[in-house]
Amino acid sequence: MSKINELFKGKPHVINVGIESFKEDLASQGAEVIHLEWTPPGRGNPELIAALDKLEDAAVIEKIEEANKLAVERIINSQPVLIGFDQAINCVPGMTKTTILHAGPPITWDKMNGPMKGAVTGAIVFEGLAKDVEEAAELAASGAITFSPCHEHNCVGSMAGVTSASMFMHIVENKTYGNIAYTNLSEQLSKILRMGANDQSVIDRLIWMRDVFGPMLRDAMKLHPTGIDLRLMLAQALHMGDECHNRNVAGTTLLIQALTPYLIQTDFTTEQKKEVFDFVASSDYFSGPTWMAMAKCALDSAHGIENSTVVTTMARNGVEFGIRVSGMPGNTWFTGPAQQVIGPMFAGYKPEDSGLDIGDSAITETYGIGGFAMAAAPAIVALVGGTVEEAIGYSTKMKEITTDENPNVTIPLLDFMGVPTGIDVRKVISTGIMPIINTAIAHKDPGIGMIGAGIVNPPVEAFEKAMLALAENIH
Amino acid sequence: MKVTISGDVDFIRRINNSNFSGVVHSTFNRTFNIQCSGDGELFTIACRMVDNAPNTLIIDSDDLSSWGIEVNDRVFVKNNTLYIENKLAILVEKARIWASAIPAYPCNIDTLSRNLKTIKEYIDAHGKEGGIKKKPTVQNSFEAELARMLELRTSLLWSELLKNHKSQALKHAVSLVGLGPGLTPSGDDFLVGLFTAINMIDSPFYDWRPFCEAVTKKARHLTNDISYTTLEKAAMGKVRESIINLVNSLIADNEEDLILSLNKVFNIGSSSGTDIALGLVCGLEANIIAGGKV
Amino acid sequence: MKVQALIKPNTYFDSVSLMSLSTKANQIEGVEQAIIAMGTEMNKEVMKNVGLLTPEIEEAKTSDLIIVVKAETDELCEEAFPKIEELFKKKNTSKGKSEVKYSTISSAAQSVPESNLAIIAVNGAYAAREARKALENDLHVMMFSDNVSVEDEIALKTLAHEKGLLMMGPDCGTAIIGNTALCFANAVRKGNIGIVAASGTGSQEVSVRIHEFGGGITQLIGTGGRDLKEAVGGIMMLDGIQALEEDEATKVIVLVSKPPAPSVEEKVLAKIKTCKKPVVVWFIGGDEEKITAAGGHFAKMSKEAALKAVVLAGADESKLNKRALNIPLIEEVRTKLTPEQKYIRGLFSGGTLCDEAMHAAMEKFDNVYSNIARDPEYRLKDRYTSQEHTFIDFGDDEYTQGKPHPMIDPSTRLDRFMQEAKDPSVGVIVMDFVIGYGAHEDPVGAFLPAMIEAKQLAEAEGRHLEIIGYVLGTELDPQGLEDQVNKLLAAGVTHASSSQNAGLLAREFVVKGE
Repeated sequence: MSKINELFKGKPHVINVGIESFKEDLASQGAEVIHLEWTPPGRGNPELIAALDKLEDAAVIEKIEEANKLAVERIINSQPVLIGFDQAINCVPGMTKTTILHAGPPITWDKMNGPMKGAVTGAIVFEGLAKDVEEAAELAASGAITFSPCHEHNCVGSMAGVTSASMFMHIVENKTYGNIAYTNLSEQLSKILRMGANDQSVIDRLIWMRDVFGPMLRDAMKLHPTGIDLRLMLAQALHMGDECHNRNVAGTTLLIQALTPYLIQTDFTTEQKKEVFDFVASSDYFSGPTWMAMAKCALDSAHGIENSTVVTTMARNGVEFGIRVSGMPGNTWFTGPAQQVIGPMFAGYKPEDSGLDIGDSAITETYGIGGFAMAAAPAIVALVGGTVEEAIGYSTKMKEITTDENPNVTIPLLDFMGVPTGIDVRKVISTGIMPIINTAIAHKDPGIGMIGAGIVNPPVEAFEKAMLALAENIH
Repeated sequence: MKVTISGDVDFIRRINNSNFSGVVHSTFNRTFNIQCSGDGELFTIACRMVDNAPNTLIIDSDDLSSWGIEVNDRVFVKNNTLYIENKLAILVEKARIWASAIPAYPCNIDTLSRNLKTIKEYIDAHGKEGGIKKKPTVQNSFEAELARMLELRTSLLWSELLKNHKSQALKHAVSLVGLGPGLTPSGDDFLVGLFTAINMIDSPFYDWRPFCEAVTKKARHLTNDISYTTLEKAAMGKVRESIINLVNSLIADNEEDLILSLNKVFNIGSSSGTDIALGLVCGLEANIIAGGKV
Repeated sequence: MKVQALIKPNTYFDSVSLMSLSTKANQIEGVEQAIIAMGTEMNKEVMKNVGLLTPEIEEAKTSDLIIVVKAETDELCEEAFPKIEELFKKKNTSKGKSEVKYSTISSAAQSVPESNLAIIAVNGAYAAREARKALENDLHVMMFSDNVSVEDEIALKTLAHEKGLLMMGPDCGTAIIGNTALCFANAVRKGNIGIVAASGTGSQEVSVRIHEFGGGITQLIGTGGRDLKEAVGGIMMLDGIQALEEDEATKVIVLVSKPPAPSVEEKVLAKIKTCKKPVVVWFIGGDEEKITAAGGHFAKMSKEAALKAVVLAGADESKLNKRALNIPLIEEVRTKLTPEQKYIRGLFSGGTLCDEAMHAAMEKFDNVYSNIARDPEYRLKDRYTSQEHTFIDFGDDEYTQGKPHPMIDPSTRLDRFMQEAKDPSVGVIVMDFVIGYGAHEDPVGAFLPAMIEAKQLAEAEGRHLEIIGYVLGTELDPQGLEDQVNKLLAAGVTHASSSQNAGLLAREFVVKGE
């Protein structure tokens, strides 16, 4: 029987696109009908529609689907394991004593925003390259400092992402594909370098982290026989109500629980060990950077696959939001203006105090957690200013722009749906749905720190540029 | 069957003593109201997140919307149990009895004056705008006009209070009743706060209680039943627990408690809590000024 | 600026919900200002002070909830209320499971594998792309959108043909599939007659007449207006005939269209010749001989097509009420009209209905003008001015620019009606009122005051204004046929029982010297 004659057999199951009243008429006749939340693809821009059309040619689409399947397979199959901690100068590729890594796409000193400048000058003082922040600013402007994005050194950096030679880094190895990713340690409290604060208390804390906290973690992990399977721990944390970007209560508990047997075996004094435990307990954020390195480690293994339209990086430097796409290998960035983060502020601060979206932490959303896994963390719906249902809605909506679900990392509330994985540039452009990112808000001026948390979308321009480049490159 | 955690003394007495009966008047997620078939007075059943209040029972439930209670459902009492059709039975036997008691006006007003200053600043910074507290920017002409009228009428009332002109004050107070879009209009909320201050025993304005009654008499058809009931009770010195706690904190010397109780009041309605607090501040300041003259 | 109010008696909302409703209401498109407040005297005073007080509001009680909307036009105000009510409902049902939303056809089709048909009603610039997506996902397509290029249409229909799918449209407004009316269609009985139509209102008319004769419909397949043009080659009509031939429930097939391009007509006739089922053909103004030669059953007009179909499908012709023309009425109207009242003015929302009435007139007059005349010489010179006998299809692009179709928005036609009613050379105004799914909720009601006024105006000038109204629809339609007809009768309008009769009556009323 032909498909047409099959259709004649019963009431139609309709997908309605456009005029909504048609849906109501159909429903009133007892027909099943889905009304699409439709917007013109590529915001109606003919150039983008032509690019989409080009990539939808039968032969091309097959290549892309195959490449994307491979990319997502690599993301999902990656098994990132925390194998140690060490100073950046000892492990990060390309690191020198005068190199400072920062968050987001490349940026020069003169263009950096307040918090990032604050963090850079603080790091210069911390490294002993200048006696105070004024001198540090001069040094930074002199060209004597090499600035480079974390992402271009297998690293990620939270907020300003400022990483200098003697800071201690997580070392995360991808047991499946062999690549390694790094990120520095959480400074915990709100008045911290990564938020642009740089007074003496901040420098003192960095020194303590360099001399006590970092070395103790390093020594502890040397004692660990296998390393810590971060993917497994991440899956547990999600089941315990974290989304592992803005809520890290469970993840931090799991991580310190795994580290403790080895921390107590190190040669540090009991006093110092207590300091370390108190420090970890002082903020839930301790495991935040860990998940970023985990995500980075998985995504790097999926970067550089020919014809793939899967996004492997989303990162912001406080001025620009940049993405990298698997099919555009190396350090090809597509950027648009960094956006304002919308969300509740700490008492006494107003939206106009906030700096623009900043940090490499959107790597978590690129992996499929954070805002993408909001349904796992109903406790933080206040960030979206809405209901639990709306939070759940974000997770299901992200399925519309991703390639697959990650069966290793699941959301109980959604019948153990895997987190949406593999953001596809084509889908973002054709649906107009932007990835949703949970993030912190830093004060726009240096030296103040975190003043709130909320959600943000990337600028559509970054994806539009990527779309056009992909259409050029894939044949 | 649900157990009553605590309840207003008058309400419980009526359930225990008599043949209380009525119909459901209105329903919300956290409360529903019953209109008594005798005198038409409103009584409230509230879930446990809500504080004690006149004519209110707090029952052991988180959300009342799941009981399927609808307007006009019959309400009756059998064996000291309150029934809403066959949907919900409320046991009052073991309830903690609560009675509204506004504290007396203090002899020494230093603490009160200091605390008033604190909460005024706090309201300024954190109070909910859109009622008595003006929004910095208005959404439309209705809001603009509403804000203008509220400001004008509260200030007129204030000046008549200070001049001790009861008849003029009555006129302005009545002009506030029903002013504001919400379930309890901002004008009503302000008056509830003001009445609370007037009802503090030994306060300079204590002899203004007949004024409260006079306002209430004229308010009967100027606002809805729910808000009217609150106003009527406040005129008799019966207000909800969170307001009483705030008054207690205002005469005590503990700033932390003060802010805590103020925040509890803020949680009433949308801007209602802020409006009540501002009414209370108005009344207390009038008391202080009048007290100074004596 | 217009202000309208809605009063919801005895409605209480807690203040927090009220605030959030009010904020959302103010964000509704087209709303200048929306206020939701309890109906206290003081709130009324505020509204009075800012010019928002309406008589309804004055009546409101303290326990009533007032919703006030201020917008550019009355229509915008009216449109806002259902949306605001929707907001209230949302609050109430927020406990329920949230509906899954999809943004693309592919994701919806993959998530709901039972899906089998996509209705596409988006801007023409994007419609072809969405239709292609639907076909790629093995969905049949009904494309309501117009302004799609012929190249795209051919590509889509070819793809659909290869995949064995329906590609109805572009510019297809009417279909009935599995007894479900899609877009603009009427509620008709299930039966054994299948229709393939390139014309929306034409097929609506035939389906409604079949229903009235006691017959019923299996499927009504729309092809879009261009299907039978040379370039497209009738792909959808040929596939539609084929599908209905293979459909067991279908006993008789009816084709509705304007006359096809010659090469396409050949293909269609060849198809009819080999078709094992009887085929009734109503090609408005078509060639009887060729159709009969091909073994088709020729119908000159719509009612005739429906009649032939039901008889072929097994009805006893002698028992049918064929609704013959009311001859005494014709005589009566003729005597009422003065010699100056010579002309017909046909004001139509349905294109085929206009065409049918125009063709009836053309048989007796040669001075018939229209915006859809096939002969360029008889095209209207100026779309705002009528010439002698004039028939206007208000659904045509030049009249709809920037406005919804006249079946939804009566305003353009309404203005023109008043203009024609004042013209002393007009003998009869004939109009159609289409009900059914998709159509205006009360099309006759929208014209009622104007029709009464026009009649009075003419009477005051000492002339009789004859208005013929035809309501296309069935008693099963949501608007209700009877109610619409009664409104016509109440206004003193002559009710025509079919499109065919409407055209013939109009002509007969003004024909002289027979």
